[in-house]
Amino acid sequence: MTKPNTGELDPQDSAASEIKSYAVGFVASLLLTVGAFAALLADLPTTWKVVLICVAAVLQIVTHLRNFLHLSFAGGESEEDMLLVLFSVSLLAIMAGGTWYIMSDLAGRMH
Amino acid sequence: MSENTLYPGLNLGETHGEAHEQAESIVFGFWVFLMSDLIIFGILFASYASYLDPIGMAGGPGPKDLFDIKSVALQTGFLLFGGIAYAGVSLALKYEQGRAKLIAWLLVCAVLGAGFVVFEVKDFVTQAGKGGIPQASGWLSSYWTLVGLHGFHVCCGILWILTMIVQIATRGVDDTVKVRLSMLGVFWHFLDLIWVGIFSLVFLVPLA
Repeated sequence: MTKPNTGELDPQDSAASEIKSYAVGFVASLLLTVGAFAALLADLPTTWKVVLICVAAVLQIVTHLRNFLHLSFAGGESEEDMLLVLFSVSLLAIMAGGTWYIMSDLAGRMH
Repeated sequence: MSENTLYPGLNLGETHGEAHEQAESIVFGFWVFLMSDLIIFGILFASYASYLDPIGMAGGPGPKDLFDIKSVALQTGFLLFGGIAYAGVSLALKYEQGRAKLIAWLLVCAVLGAGFVVFEVKDFVTQAGKGGIPQASGWLSSYWTLVGLHGFHVCCGILWILTMIVQIATRGVDDTVKVRLSMLGVFWHFLDLIWVGIFSLVFLVPLA
């Protein structure tokens, strides 16, 4: 928090900063989406295309979480909310990552 | 810590008194549901990635035969603009700009969401016509389940938006409606986030 909490918020002030936050998120999402499609159409090796598309996706997901879902690491909301999201994501990483690893390993052995 | 931020999502703020307090536990509960939804989508992404090889496609039609990149770009546009339109709803709600503005923004969200669904269904029909039915291969089963589940979520979101419009028109913007609109906002933006994963990993990566 950069501003001291005086208990009184200027509605005009916070509305302007919220609109700005949405606008920044929107422009960033638009650029990252166009970037991902451009990477596909560009004349690049497949590996580079996949890396660029994945990087754009991760950046856009972070943008959505920050600017549209208003989730922040900087504090503000109660600890439970952040813990819930982090716990779910770590469970997902184990389950989805594990599935993908085991299945691709099996596929590799079958070729 | 600001008292004004009690939960993830655009908070109603202290000026809303009771509704702002209520929203803390109710929106948190809704986040618990969304995280379980995230796990389902995540596992479906993992299945899709596992089937994305010649064995998974089992001699059936592949991504290059079935995917129409222009239609995917169009659907992405509809959903991105539909998502940002909900910012209008959230801000109109927070700063009490009146029922008409709330309903107008909700309608914009619903129309853009419907545009997305129309093109998605059109794609599904075309793909089924080319032999890309769910039974054709493991890869196609996982594709239809993942993308279909997301499409079903968007349809539910549109139904929820229409329900909220009726509630705003009949009971006005009371505390219950305010909390429900806060939950709907989190849901609608979450669907947008899942679509980022779908257009990148399901459509673009296999075509690269």
